[in-house]
Amino acid sequence: MSEAAFNGPGSVNGRSRWRFAVPLIWLTALLLLAVGMTTLEPLFRLFEPDLRQVIYDREHFWVLLGEHVLMVAVAALLATCVGVAAAVAVTRAAGRDFMPMVAQLASIGQTFPPVAVLALAVPVLGFGTVPLIVALLLYGLLPIVRNTLAGIQGISAEVLEAARGMGMTPRQVLLQVELPLAAPVILAGIRTSVTVNVATAALGATVGASNLGDPIISGIVNGNTAYIIQGAVMIGLLALTVDSLFEQLQPGVPGQSSGAQSGQG
Amino acid sequence: MIRDARPNRVLVSLMSLGLLAWLGLDALSVAPNRLVQGTPLNPVEALGWWVTLVGALPMVCVVWLAWRPTAFRLWASLGVVVGLLMAMPLWLSGAVVAVLDPELPQARVGIGPGFWVLLFLWLLVLVELRIRLRLRRAWVWGLLLFVLVVWGIALSHWLTPLALVQEYQARSDQFLEAVSYHVALVGAAVGASLVIGLGMALTMRRFDGLRRLGFGVLNFLQTIPSLALFGLLLAPLAWLSHQVPWLGALGVSGIGWAPAWLALVAYSLLPMVRNTYVALEGVDPGVIESARGMGMSRLQVFFQVRLPLALPVMLEGVRITTVQAIGLTAVAALIGAGGLGTFIFQGLGQAAMDLVLLGALPIIAMALMADALLGALAERLRRREAA
Repeated sequence: MSEAAFNGPGSVNGRSRWRFAVPLIWLTALLLLAVGMTTLEPLFRLFEPDLRQVIYDREHFWVLLGEHVLMVAVAALLATCVGVAAAVAVTRAAGRDFMPMVAQLASIGQTFPPVAVLALAVPVLGFGTVPLIVALLLYGLLPIVRNTLAGIQGISAEVLEAARGMGMTPRQVLLQVELPLAAPVILAGIRTSVTVNVATAALGATVGASNLGDPIISGIVNGNTAYIIQGAVMIGLLALTVDSLFEQLQPGVPGQSSGAQSGQG
Repeated sequence: MIRDARPNRVLVSLMSLGLLAWLGLDALSVAPNRLVQGTPLNPVEALGWWVTLVGALPMVCVVWLAWRPTAFRLWASLGVVVGLLMAMPLWLSGAVVAVLDPELPQARVGIGPGFWVLLFLWLLVLVELRIRLRLRRAWVWGLLLFVLVVWGIALSHWLTPLALVQEYQARSDQFLEAVSYHVALVGAAVGASLVIGLGMALTMRRFDGLRRLGFGVLNFLQTIPSLALFGLLLAPLAWLSHQVPWLGALGVSGIGWAPAWLALVAYSLLPMVRNTYVALEGVDPGVIESARGMGMSRLQVFFQVRLPLALPVMLEGVRITTVQAIGLTAVAALIGAGGLGTFIFQGLGQAAMDLVLLGALPIIAMALMADALLGALAERLRRREAA
């Protein structure tokens, strides 16, 4: 899209071929580990020489990885749709009354620790994958709403005036001017949301949702360090893959996530 | 804004939703003991039609007031909502007496979805009124203090059959210990990261190469999910405490406070260093120049001019860090670090939902309080600076 303008002339061609190298390296490591964890058995034997079982075997690692990615992806997709729609709705004339409250809610809500949101979802929705996804969705909504609001409000009035002056309908202004201009900020919100959710989803094992958090929790319960390391390395690699991918997609200064919002769960 | 003759649609829709929740959802559940799933009850089943209608009246009243929102009517709505929030525990106290069978001393009352929805909606109404009436944040916190006092009285005197209260009473010593431990761990982590963060920010200002490297490393750390970092610290720390006996004697081991504290500091550093760096960079060079011109030494300029001027933005970093650390400490309970997270994970393990609440609600309250207090402090400093 408008990345050329952000990266400056020249840098685009230099970077374009190699820009996905870092995410690809992380992804390759992640997939290799998911498929070939058993070949590393001698290595994990060093951590727990006395235990019979040193490779987590209740489920294949690629299944756990798939479940983890699926849960985060479903939650992120829903959160993006709902969040952007909500923010667009309250910036239209018809919904403007609701804007201050939604903005306040999005900023107060981010003070809630993600663990607490997950913990509160269980009494209401019970155990399993659904409450986990709902918790991820609810928590993931906030940065997206907040950033979409900031992105749309940050567009200067002259630009909108010019767009209307050209005879664009409100719908065209939204789709061809407002959303594209706000896209980098919205993407930063999605990045924060996904980063937190990859971390929070790992706690799913405690609410009965199976994913990469399983080996860690099981390792803690059974005192098996090897399990813990396997789960931790996989989750770490997944987080790095996702984050570096977003970093390449996001125009702007590489290595600097947007604003003061940090993304930890 | 205030003399707007159009209906305040936010208040009208929030309160209409509140009415629906009040009349349609279950507000309570009653269980004969801890293990059995409770039977849900709606407000009508709990205290009858008359009380339910009387309870609905204030909400109808707010809808009517918000239809033509003059300043006076908004103030009246504020009064009604605060009244509703205070009446909530009283209604609950009455309902507990009415629904419980005195023959069953083990019986306990759980709070149902309707109740939580109402609480959430009424707090949203409060937020909306604060915005419309342009009230100071501290002012609203003061109002909420009154509400909390009523809640406190009701919880300690009349609401003992509430499952949440029973879970608390069964482990009140542990609870206080967990709260103080949680606060201590957060305090230790934030304190350490403040000192280290200031050091790092100062070094980064000196050496430009270190700046890129430092932020790179901190960004990398921030990306690693908390559960994974706790897990990854386990093996090296266990090895370390094995090799270095005096560390082991101090209580450093693969599980417990040591990996939790280390991970908390690691996560806290990025927001802390970023804000400190930006704050120190952001001080107007003209001010520094004139301080030099007055004959101040380098140290004097730093401690008497640059640091005080940078303080509000630095405090913002402390605020973000503290709120984040409060949540992460809860996760650290999984590796045996103690704190309020213990109750959450115990409760999840035993499928005892009120135990989960006993851990989660104080954590949320702590995060909100830290956010409000540190935010107010930064605001105050900023205003004093501007004056």
